[in-house]
Amino acid sequence: MAKLDLIDIRKTYPKSDLETLKGINISIEPGEFLILVGPSGCGKSTLMNTIAGLEDISSGEIRINDVDVSGLAPKDRDIAMVFQSYALYPNMTVRENMAFGLKIRKTPTTEIDAEIKRVSELLQIDHLLDRKPSQLSGGQQQRVAMGRALARRPKLYLFDEPLSNLDAKLRVEMRTEVKKLHQRLGTTIVYVTHDQIEAMTLADRIAVMKAGEVQQLGSPYEIYNHPTNMFVAGFMGSPSMNFVPITVLENSDGHACTELTGSDGKAQLLALPDKLKTYVGKKLMLGLRPEHISQQLSHHSETDLISAARFNIEILEPTGPETIAQITINDHAVHCRLAPDLSITAGQDLDLMIDVSKASFFDPDSERNILL
Amino acid sequence: MHSSSTSQGDNGLGRWLIYGVLALMALVYLLPLFVMLVTSFKTGTDIRTGSLISLPQEWVTDSWQAAWGTACTGVTCDGIKGYFWNSIKMVVPAVLISTFIGAFNGYVISKWRFKGSDLFFSLMLFGCFLPFQLVLLPMAAMLGKLGLANTTTGLVLVHVIYGVAFTTLFFRNYYINVPDELVKAAKLDGAGFFTIFWAILLPISKPIIMVTIIWQFTSIWNDFLFGVVYSGADSQPITVALNNLVNTSTGVKAYNVDMAAAIIAALPTLLVYFVAGKYFVRGLTAGSVKG
Ligand SMILES: Nc1ncnc2c1ncn2[C@@H]1O[C@H](COP(=O)(O)OP(=O)(O)OP(=O)(O)O)[C@@H](O)[C@H]1O
Ligand SMILES: [Mg+2]
Repeated sequence: MAKLDLIDIRKTYPKSDLETLKGINISIEPGEFLILVGPSGCGKSTLMNTIAGLEDISSGEIRINDVDVSGLAPKDRDIAMVFQSYALYPNMTVRENMAFGLKIRKTPTTEIDAEIKRVSELLQIDHLLDRKPSQLSGGQQQRVAMGRALARRPKLYLFDEPLSNLDAKLRVEMRTEVKKLHQRLGTTIVYVTHDQIEAMTLADRIAVMKAGEVQQLGSPYEIYNHPTNMFVAGFMGSPSMNFVPITVLENSDGHACTELTGSDGKAQLLALPDKLKTYVGKKLMLGLRPEHISQQLSHHSETDLISAARFNIEILEPTGPETIAQITINDHAVHCRLAPDLSITAGQDLDLMIDVSKASFFDPDSERNILL
Repeated sequence: MHSSSTSQGDNGLGRWLIYGVLALMALVYLLPLFVMLVTSFKTGTDIRTGSLISLPQEWVTDSWQAAWGTACTGVTCDGIKGYFWNSIKMVVPAVLISTFIGAFNGYVISKWRFKGSDLFFSLMLFGCFLPFQLVLLPMAAMLGKLGLANTTTGLVLVHVIYGVAFTTLFFRNYYINVPDELVKAAKLDGAGFFTIFWAILLPISKPIIMVTIIWQFTSIWNDFLFGVVYSGADSQPITVALNNLVNTSTGVKAYNVDMAAAIIAALPTLLVYFVAGKYFVRGLTAGSVKG
């Protein structure tokens, strides 16, 4: 178990005039599971490679247990990495793949054997030890790749999209497996994924990256419920958060509210948190997750921040456990989550409930969350 | 009409047409070999009286023995056997060394990019297009300075230098398709520069090693120009001897001996192709290594 500190990491690839990492600061506690997410090309793999020592950094410091390792070769950092492509040595058997690193480190044979036994039993690959990687299924190769990483008992594990080559079902299985493994071994893990569910379920903390910068670092709950800006808000969650431009108004009782205009052009009032009273007359972006708009729920009476409104349902997309419906508010398409057994058809009007208590509000220019 | 929708008749006719053309082509290609073979088993009189493609009246192996052991190649009359061994002594080390250097170069260029490695590779590539004639004189001067003029070692050196451009290209193109992650994983496992080459890359290089060996063996074995320029009397390769044998005219031209000698000279390349040929196509097409 190790502590990892990334201090103002900057990286510019040679022959590139763009900075790929623009000052990354993350402290990872011993035993923590940190997940990096972000759009393709934002520098996640680059950051992983710099931590592993496979790429040099242009400036900054990488500390493992308070020791600066940024000048050390990969082998001296005691880090193991699992790659998206697994990168198993094709000429070696599963056993040899796992033993390779141990042999190079001159571990005694008896110890190697014991370690391989431990790891292969842990990952349930002990019956595959004498096979070549080409004789394994994708899921088995994935396990072997993890086994190879586990065999050395390194200080730190890096996973770069380890499950993305698996089919959906296997991916869910392996996700649980990874979670169990982490709970059992309590190792420090930095993990890159494109899969939101993977990020939400596995992470102790999530770092959302964009164009070489960390946009937000926080627990899955914080990232999901209190996104610092529109990018983070839109990135996490599926279907993603709805953004509706609104103008803050004051109603006759002196409370903050706004008008929502449906596709029929009729305006309906929506109560807003009173914290927004300082914004009366200003334009804001209202961020509503699909689950914050639902059909009328009997046990949910109308309170201050739950308003009823009637909208025309334009499109219905049943997914099984729920139905995603599309409506129009203030000329913007908005998705809402409805119960699957609701008997409605597209084109109908429906009474909906909008829960603003969990909504986010953003400055339309800076795109920052104004309530944080 | 597309293959799946074509009727049986159409398909059959087209197929026969293709086979017919292919067979004809094969025949045209094989005819010279056929003529060489039958001629080498004919007696002198047989050649003069029969036609070019007729079978021997009487099958004799005299000309094979003569070509191997007694035919005159210039001033000596010991056949081509000595030169055959000269060629072997030159080809084997030249092929092995140039293949190995090519593998190593390819590894460095594709997996350990350094400043100017692309330029280095471009220059290497340029070497593939240098005509032999261009290097003849400078190379002769250099061999002289090194004291390797007219020796087999000198000839090996020349072939290695000239061949490295090709072998590097082959291996570089093969290794560029090997995922970089493999090297990264090995680095994290603690493997160094040489260990990664020996333990990870070389073991998966069999197809391209075969391609390179066939290529190098064929071009070095068949080389005439370097052989004739840089070899001494006792290090001449078989191509030079063959030329001498054919050009030594004492009395009647012994076509049967010429043919036998030519076939002997061609046998090793044929052998290499038969043994390793299946890898050739495979190695050239299958670039990437699936994990
Ligand atoms: N070796 C390199 N040389 C130059 N630029 C590079 C190199 N590797 C990556 N880049 C650039 O750096 C940026 C970040 O790449 P990186 O691979 O880290 O993205 P990523 O976040 O891992 O993306 P993905 O989600 O697609 O894996 C990209 O713009 C990429 O083009
Ligand atoms: Mg990546």
